[in-house]
Amino acid sequence: MIEFSPGTIEMIIRSVSVIAAGLALIAGVGPGIGMGYAAGKATSGVRRQPEARGAIVTTMLLGQIISGSTGIYSLVIAIYLVFA
Amino acid sequence: MNPGPQTITHLFGKSYLPVTDTLIIGWVSVILIIILAKYLTSDLKLRPEGKQNIAELFITAVYDQIEPMIEGEGWKFLPFIATIFIYIGFSNLIGLVPGLPSPTADLNTTLGLALVVFLVSHFEGMRDKGIWGYIKSFGQPVIFLLPLNVVGELAKPISHSFRLFGNIVGGGIIITLIYQAAPGLIPVPLHAWFDLFIGLIQALIFGMVAIAYIAVAKQ
Repeated sequence: MIEFSPGTIEMIIRSVSVIAAGLALIAGVGPGIGMGYAAGKATSGVRRQPEARGAIVTTMLLGQIISGSTGIYSLVIAIYLVFA
Repeated sequence: MNPGPQTITHLFGKSYLPVTDTLIIGWVSVILIIILAKYLTSDLKLRPEGKQNIAELFITAVYDQIEPMIEGEGWKFLPFIATIFIYIGFSNLIGLVPGLPSPTADLNTTLGLALVVFLVSHFEGMRDKGIWGYIKSFGQPVIFLLPLNVVGELAKPISHSFRLFGNIVGGGIIITLIYQAAPGLIPVPLHAWFDLFIGLIQALIFGMVAIAYIAVAKQ
């Protein structure tokens, strides 16, 4: 069993939390794909029915908001890991 | 541009009730919005001209967002939703001034606004469905889902507030990093993106989600 000094442990915790913050941002991939998919579907919907544009855009934004929440959670966790 | 709230002074003694810069800017922006609203709505005429056109354009745009989702009660919720739109939009635009923090880059501001929306939506649901109908709505569609529904309701203000906070703080951190690495003209397009575009879109989204939460609670 190796004994670490308190300064070394502090340094290890800081460096690991920065790496963990970077790993947490991998969660940004999912919302990106999902929101892009929703936008593509909405575009084809507007092309098919241009008169329903307002309703389609509102529904698309609401869906993107809900699916984008997970990305925001990962960002908040990353900020917390870096600054705390 | 704001990497996070900084404590400036304490209201009582050395450690009680810290006053952050976002709090001060938030109150200043409230006063500025009141002055602006008083100016825009002074001497209203039946045939609008000049500044009255701006105010009516804004009010009609907000009304057109509310009316399709909460049918027949657009005028009732207009003051509440329009206030959210104006306050968040104005707060996000403050970030355009280098060195001034946006009040919305503080979790206290966004969580406060989200809790107000939470209370309003539940109060409206209670008034529409009655106390017993309101309690019964948590046991829908099966009684087993009661804890899941309660957790889902409690998660709403959290995700609502963290969305705005995360967007504004993330943009602020990126702009601050660019300012340290390359001051000069390079941060200007980033300001246009993060403060103008994302800021106004987030104000719209916060208001729209508030409308959606109230509409869902009333069903």
